[in-house]
Amino acid sequence: MFWNKRKNQEMKQDESAAPKTMTDLLLRLKDHPDFSHYRHSRGSFQCWISFFNSLVNVESVHRDVLPFLYDEHVHSLSDIQERIPVEKVEQTTDLKTVQSKLMEGSIIIQEREDSPKCLIVPTVLRESRQVEPPEVETSVFGPKESFVEALDTNISLMRKHIPIPQFTIEQMRIGKISNTRVCIAYIDGVASKENVNTVRQRLQDLELDHLTDTSALSQLVADNSHSPFPQFIDTERPDRTVNALYEGKVAVLVDGSPNALMLPTTIIEFFIAFDDYFISWYIATFTRLLRLFAVAFSVFSSPMYVAVLTYHYQLIPIDLLGSLITSRSVVPFSPMAEALVLELMIELLREAGARLPTKVGQTIGIVGGIVIGTASVQAGLTSNVLLILIGMSALAAFTTPSYRMGTTIRFIRFPFILAAQLWGMLGIALCFAYFVSHLLKQTSLGRPYIEPIYPLRLTDLRDSFIRLPNTSQPERPMLLRPEDAGRFNKKRAKQKVGKQKTDIDE
Amino acid sequence: MKKSLVIIMMLMLLSGCIEDNIIDDILMAEAEGYDYIGNNQVIGTITTPNYAQGGVSGSGGGGLPATASMMSSATTVTYDGRSLAENLQPKGQKKIKVGKLRIMLFNEALLKHGFEKTIHFRNQDPEVGRDMYLAMVDGSTKDLLTATYQTAIPISRYVYDLIFQNQQQNFPKNNLSTFLYSYYGRYADPMMPIIKREKDHIVLTGIMFFKHDKYAGRINGQQKAFIFKTLVENFKFGFYDYTFQQNEHAVLENVSSSRQYVVKNGNSATPDIFATIRITGYVRQGSPLLKTKDYNSTIKRGMEKDLEKQIKKMVAGFQKSGIDPIELGQIVRSYTRHFDGASWSDRYPNARFHVKTKINIVETGVSQPR
Repeated sequence: MFWNKRKNQEMKQDESAAPKTMTDLLLRLKDHPDFSHYRHSRGSFQCWISFFNSLVNVESVHRDVLPFLYDEHVHSLSDIQERIPVEKVEQTTDLKTVQSKLMEGSIIIQEREDSPKCLIVPTVLRESRQVEPPEVETSVFGPKESFVEALDTNISLMRKHIPIPQFTIEQMRIGKISNTRVCIAYIDGVASKENVNTVRQRLQDLELDHLTDTSALSQLVADNSHSPFPQFIDTERPDRTVNALYEGKVAVLVDGSPNALMLPTTIIEFFIAFDDYFISWYIATFTRLLRLFAVAFSVFSSPMYVAVLTYHYQLIPIDLLGSLITSRSVVPFSPMAEALVLELMIELLREAGARLPTKVGQTIGIVGGIVIGTASVQAGLTSNVLLILIGMSALAAFTTPSYRMGTTIRFIRFPFILAAQLWGMLGIALCFAYFVSHLLKQTSLGRPYIEPIYPLRLTDLRDSFIRLPNTSQPERPMLLRPEDAGRFNKKRAKQKVGKQKTDIDE
Repeated sequence: MKKSLVIIMMLMLLSGCIEDNIIDDILMAEAEGYDYIGNNQVIGTITTPNYAQGGVSGSGGGGLPATASMMSSATTVTYDGRSLAENLQPKGQKKIKVGKLRIMLFNEALLKHGFEKTIHFRNQDPEVGRDMYLAMVDGSTKDLLTATYQTAIPISRYVYDLIFQNQQQNFPKNNLSTFLYSYYGRYADPMMPIIKREKDHIVLTGIMFFKHDKYAGRINGQQKAFIFKTLVENFKFGFYDYTFQQNEHAVLENVSSSRQYVVKNGNSATPDIFATIRITGYVRQGSPLLKTKDYNSTIKRGMEKDLEKQIKKMVAGFQKSGIDPIELGQIVRSYTRHFDGASWSDRYPNARFHVKTKINIVETGVSQPR
């Protein structure tokens, strides 16, 4: 096609714009205010040193690199390479490597200004946030660490939990211009080769100029990027990531992003808080079922209100009719308009709360709760009953541990409301059928998205919306097809737990 | 994909014209009354509850004023077996819908005339729930539905609650569903409770029995209703007042009553039906009771004898008038191989009914008999 041709030409032009010789490169960088390029000479030996002040740890340059250039035995680049106490010093004539290393914060040392032969001394400035407690995925129990923006710190956070050589980290660069470092992490011998290969292939095939965050990446590598349902979990908790790695998943980390992506994922995992593993199994089961109910309530309450009040008055219990009709009799809108007005208000509140700085954020609660809530009822814009329903469903939507899934749940109720207005309960059923068929078709990294339910995998159901005790989960999730399916020996686990016997003095 | 989207949108947007029933924009008929005035004509009355009358709670003075009170009852003359809601539509300030119908009332004349058309029409209508109550009214239904009572709640709820709570006690369970079962079922005849207006009260006075769709007889009072109920269902609650001497009563409060039937010679000209009725209950009323120490002879045996006598009398009455509200026909059929159904109506009056009651008094209150 002709437009493709033009695109390809444009790309070629980009290539041709790159500097061709070392002189060319230096000429281009010369004008940057943070670029240092100067001649060093000591006796007969002289060399050219160039680096970016802003990218280099200047202190360590002064302490660890420059003094060695004054050594009397230094006569060539190789002499410097031998003497400098910095690891991974290399010599190269490849202009591309020189350029990218320079832009990442290495020092380049040349013998002559126009010589392509360079010594690259890495003295990268690692300045990043401290490791802090998680803010988005807060938990009551368990570790209180979260990922930061520096990739190496994040890897070290994970390595601490997985002290084995099989913990593999593959690095690649993504982004034509940005060249962002992206790491695939997995445990060799546990994670399925197929999964790892799929992730690797998807990342390598990416066609983009720059990459800033894992959440952007998750949409790019998703099986169906048009789906409202997120297909990969991104988490800021190292403990959760490590747990996923032990299960046989693959994690993807991006330099500059405080989140790790866990692949593949089923829909049920979005409703699992990591806390659940730290509390006794029946309480965890209770909270998970509570969340499941919350999701159903959140999606269906306002559409049901619309459907029942518009079409199916027969379904309303006779004792409820009075309060429903009296609260609705002053409302000038149809139930759908009324529901949309309130839903919109809640959406606005949520959005405003997310955008405002935390200090001003408290005002939102007051404005939302008191002014809008009560006043809209008194002004006769909405009915009391609906206000309770919408308030509860908003609350229910936020019980979902994953904020990403929470927004999806809040979003999909709008089609439900529209369908309820058009066809009543039948519309809700149709809409539900539509979403179910969408979920049935959905995959995550080629694995079924609603796995323990369809296809039914009883072993995986043990850690889904219920959680059985750890001793009865000796296998890794079947979904992931792990290389090593067993976590531990079930027989021995049972033996050690043994039968409860009362003490002799009890 | 695009094609299917277009089809879906067409389906959605072009067919979205079904009638809606927004709850505050319709009048929900909760009670219907039919008075037969001869010549296939009925006076029909409906009542609708009036929600907005008391003002709007929680509106806090702001906003719109409470909607003015709406129509609460309407009457029309129409032919037998016609939908009242439709017929009254010209009188309706808003659409009249029957989806929340709670009670249907008939006067004695209509039931004597036969109400096949009415019940058939009600059975056909899918909008009405099957848990509504049917009742006969002593007197005029219009009068009962439009009168004012001590209670302020809508008349439909009043009657519904009245019938509901009494069916927990001495009166047998009966609603549209069970009514239609025995109406259309073989070897069974339906029944319905009788209510009556007494100045500013409504009273449940008894049970009336049908022969197919026509009035065929009645029993009055909750004593008789209790006896009847022991025969038709197993139940809890309810009470039986036993007069064991002049002016000396003992009230048996039922804890659980169960019935058991055995049928012999089901296909003979005179089938034998053996009924055993077991009642567990306690006696807490009746200070005269405290004078007697021997419950077994005086109270228990007396009560058993009394009940047996009453039951026999009642069943004999049913047999005599050829109606079968106890559904004995169904019982005989279920106990008889190759049941001869065609001749059952001839054999029913000759059936021999034997009954045995066993009463177990479990306690007599906190004070000991002296």
